[in-house]
Amino acid sequence: MPMDEVLAHLHDVTIGYDEPLIRDINVEIVAGDVIAVLGPSGIGKTTLLRTIAGLVRPLLGEVELGVPSRGGLGYIPQRLGLVGNSSVRTNVEMGTRAGLSAWYPPFFPVPAKQRRYAERAMEDLGIHDLAEQPVRILSGGQQRRVATAKTVAQRPRLVLADEFLGELDDDNVDIVMRTVRHAIEAQNSAMVMVEHHEELATQVANRIWRVVDNELVEEMVR
Amino acid sequence: MNTRSTLVSLFVIGLALLLFIDLAGDWGRLSGGWSNLKEFFSESLWPPDWSVLEAQSYPVCESSLTVTCSVAWMGMIETIKIAFVATVIGFMVALPLSILAASNLSPIEVAIPARILLAGMRSLPSIIWAVLFMIVFDVGALAGICAMSFYTVGYLGKLQFESMEGIKNAPLEAAKAMGLSRAEMAWLVAVPESANNLVSHLLFMFEYNVRHGTVIGLVGAGGIGLYINTYLKLAQYDKVVALLLVVFVVVVVIDFLSMSLRSAFNEEGDVERPTWSSLFLPASISSSNHPTPMSRSSPADSDE
Repeated sequence: MPMDEVLAHLHDVTIGYDEPLIRDINVEIVAGDVIAVLGPSGIGKTTLLRTIAGLVRPLLGEVELGVPSRGGLGYIPQRLGLVGNSSVRTNVEMGTRAGLSAWYPPFFPVPAKQRRYAERAMEDLGIHDLAEQPVRILSGGQQRRVATAKTVAQRPRLVLADEFLGELDDDNVDIVMRTVRHAIEAQNSAMVMVEHHEELATQVANRIWRVVDNELVEEMVR
Repeated sequence: MNTRSTLVSLFVIGLALLLFIDLAGDWGRLSGGWSNLKEFFSESLWPPDWSVLEAQSYPVCESSLTVTCSVAWMGMIETIKIAFVATVIGFMVALPLSILAASNLSPIEVAIPARILLAGMRSLPSIIWAVLFMIVFDVGALAGICAMSFYTVGYLGKLQFESMEGIKNAPLEAAKAMGLSRAEMAWLVAVPESANNLVSHLLFMFEYNVRHGTVIGLVGAGGIGLYINTYLKLAQYDKVVALLLVVFVVVVVIDFLSMSLRSAFNEEGDVERPTWSSLFLPASISSSNHPTPMSRSSPADSDE
């Protein structure tokens, strides 16, 4: 598999809701990329991720995804998107369901292979001992690790993460980033992350997208 | 409250008062009403005739516990059975319909017909459904079960789809971005996220159906209402009062049971589950036997 495989291509995309937030975006996301999106609050970073994820239509232009529509894209929203009343295991296994047929009954347990993916992700992120706990009783940091494990177990080609390192201490940032980097390398995938902490973002990313004056400016960091 | 709010409140209360006076009609008819009620109460209603708790003379009671052969017991048990079966059937039909009716789970062209169907089932009261099903199935419990099930679907379905529409958007968006199907989003996200409300509504519906069993029984659809109807026709109001008191006790017991069950589903980890003693005793007495929420370790302490 070539390293410059294009996983997403944004053609002349303008994003926003009623008013445009970021105009004329022309970027490619290729396999192996870890992209940090930087900029002040309310400038359109989350909307950019949601547009790439297909949750918001671009005002103009086209988002072309080179990943499968089912399971190809993993999304960790700012509020994590976990099911609070379900256990950690159920949430992580939900990620693996995207790798099954859409006709696989949702009330059936996932097959053994998918269960192993979930077990491995929970072990890597240090939440295996919480597997049977309902997510709602976990701390913010633990929930972030669950959301990451869910996406790692999903094995997507493109990960979109919205401030998923918040509320984590330095040790847990290391654990989470090491696991995610390993998953990205293993799957030859890419990640676009919105991050407020610029220092942290430049440490982990190999590309920086900065939103300046309603435009997306790209910086190479390494 | 500002002047405008006060004026609006006074206007609404005044309007209600005027409408009440208008609807009440001839006030002269009310003269002697209170004494009539007292007379009716003392002569016909009170004391209740507790013979409804005694075994019937026919068929011969073979049980050592004679109350189980009484009109009150048999009627109440049949009412509870009808309510239980109707609630379970209603829930099983209402759940998929409510998923179809929830605008965050189904496209609008599916959600609107599903809502219209639920509204249709809900708009006829269960007593009307009971009359319709009695034409089909004759007098008895089957007509009662069908009538209650239909109404339960309409009523419970509305409560359920509103609960599902009220869940947080983030889990659904994450599932949608992953490419999960609508069925997976409904089963894996919407149902567990709204589980507390679904259980609460289910228990409320069971209690409602037990209470309503007395009403649909009045038209012959089985249960204790059938006996109440018979005693009303025979003008044996003291027996009617005894049966209504039995229904009241059963409803109170079900209410306490459902409160306990609901608390089991609503527990939030750091919130203390209510105990039986806390329901009946003042907080100062009941709390001395149990740890307070503050004394438990916060889950946030365990990490990071």
